[in-house]
Amino acid sequence: MSRTFARIAAAAAGLALALTAASATTASAAPAAGNAVIHESNAFFQQAAQAGIVAVPLPTATAGYDPSTGLSASFPVTDGSGSIAEFWGSVQFGGGLLFVDARTGSAVAFHQLAFSSETYQVTGVPDGTTTPVALFAPAGETVVTRTGATQNLSAASLALDPAGAQFLDGKLRTSFFAAGQSVGSFRVSYTPAS
Amino acid sequence: MRHTAAKALAAVAFTAALTTVAAVPAMADPAALPAAKDIVGVGSDTTQALFTKFSADYNATIPAGDTTTPRLYSWDATGTSPITPKAGGSTIARPNGSGAGIGALNTTTKTTLDFARSSRAAQATDPTGLDFIAFAKDAVTWSAVSGGHAPANLTTANLVDIYTCAKTNWSQFGGTAGTIQPFLPQSGSGTRSFFLQALGNITPGSCVVSGPEENEGTDPLLLTNVDAVIPYSVGHYVGQLNGHTTATDAPGNLTLRNLNGVSPLTATNTLNPAFAGGSFGRVLFNVVRDADYTAATTQGTALRNIFSNTGWICSTAGRNDISSFGFLNLPTTGCGVIIH
Repeated sequence: MSRTFARIAAAAAGLALALTAASATTASAAPAAGNAVIHESNAFFQQAAQAGIVAVPLPTATAGYDPSTGLSASFPVTDGSGSIAEFWGSVQFGGGLLFVDARTGSAVAFHQLAFSSETYQVTGVPDGTTTPVALFAPAGETVVTRTGATQNLSAASLALDPAGAQFLDGKLRTSFFAAGQSVGSFRVSYTPAS
Repeated sequence: MRHTAAKALAAVAFTAALTTVAAVPAMADPAALPAAKDIVGVGSDTTQALFTKFSADYNATIPAGDTTTPRLYSWDATGTSPITPKAGGSTIARPNGSGAGIGALNTTTKTTLDFARSSRAAQATDPTGLDFIAFAKDAVTWSAVSGGHAPANLTTANLVDIYTCAKTNWSQFGGTAGTIQPFLPQSGSGTRSFFLQALGNITPGSCVVSGPEENEGTDPLLLTNVDAVIPYSVGHYVGQLNGHTTATDAPGNLTLRNLNGVSPLTATNTLNPAFAGGSFGRVLFNVVRDADYTAATTQGTALRNIFSNTGWICSTAGRNDISSFGFLNLPTTGCGVIIH
């Protein structure tokens, strides 16, 4: 990773930490458990950085970094219904996801992130609105396993949804995002309320 | 024409019509023995007619002169037995249903079978090393003969009472008095397995008769039986309404009934998504050996070209076939997902 990219990564991690400290959230009483992890590929990270774009997880999501695999964002499961394996219901996540374009000075944040088991999409509600936007969808080999009540989804790739790409391009005043563009990989572990 | 002659002519015509119907070939069996390289499957009755269409349409995408690309074939759940699924393969008892197909896949190799059609999800007792690849949604409801003694609606609890033989008369459920005759599809049926699971993994009572081939209201045990009740694939029923029938693969006098107050059909006789989203909705699968599916071989490539998210079944052409045969398509990003 180049020095420039390392700086951006450090800045992103710092921003995430600062936001974590600044906005303590109420502990969720939801009995559902688990998390979702978006693993940003180095390839996407570098392309985005070159375009001046950074994606930052917002509390209560957390950022992670591994030198060999790159950046990741982990979102806690807060609630859910239905079944990933049976294609109905959805899983809700805490935290948010912020996209910043350093070149245009634009930013957009999403909260109420969720994985719809009916559409197999990751959606988020842009701050200041109430309508979810389809951001990502699993791509490549996707495997769902069940161990007891826990369901795990693992997607080899996470692709930008056409609606998400269009929305991000519009909000950030860029043409960087493209439908089907892989941002990395995706995992969900979900244990429904018992 | 005198009445006698007219009657005789009518009788001949009737006999000829019956002969014509009886001569309809088995719906999904390959017309010729598939080659060793071909992708060949067995199993579920529910999706066998759809696979006849898949086979025809997929194979049509391969140029006639192409002798190296594997074609797709599948064998019916019923018909003459044993069968030799493809050239050079073993001769096996014809698998009748999802469980039987999965079992056959597990006890053979790719020289005999490549996949199994399954209308039930993976179970803890299934062999490891098998991938259940999702490709469509269906639902199961209960059915009864039109004009019979059964009511229009039953609850899950009602069905439990019926299939455990705790209650035995239709008058106990708002129907016309008559002794209930509960049936289940043949052993090895995915529809049977799913239905019992949806009722809480009950053990059928002694009043329950097993045996009629699933999704066939033409069975003599059911055809005019005003007290019969039997589970039925909603998607397969819609496909039958769409004209995908044979002499035996048809609803006969059976009609689908409401469950927990929800109709399995929409006003236009399609599978009701709200019904399929409940506990009687199910995912349809094709089952492959993981080692075959992930191999860098001609067979592995062909399996992925047919069953994966970017494969033919998940393409627009495949999805159109799925709709035509009465089932619901999965989201494009969910088709081809492997579920264990």
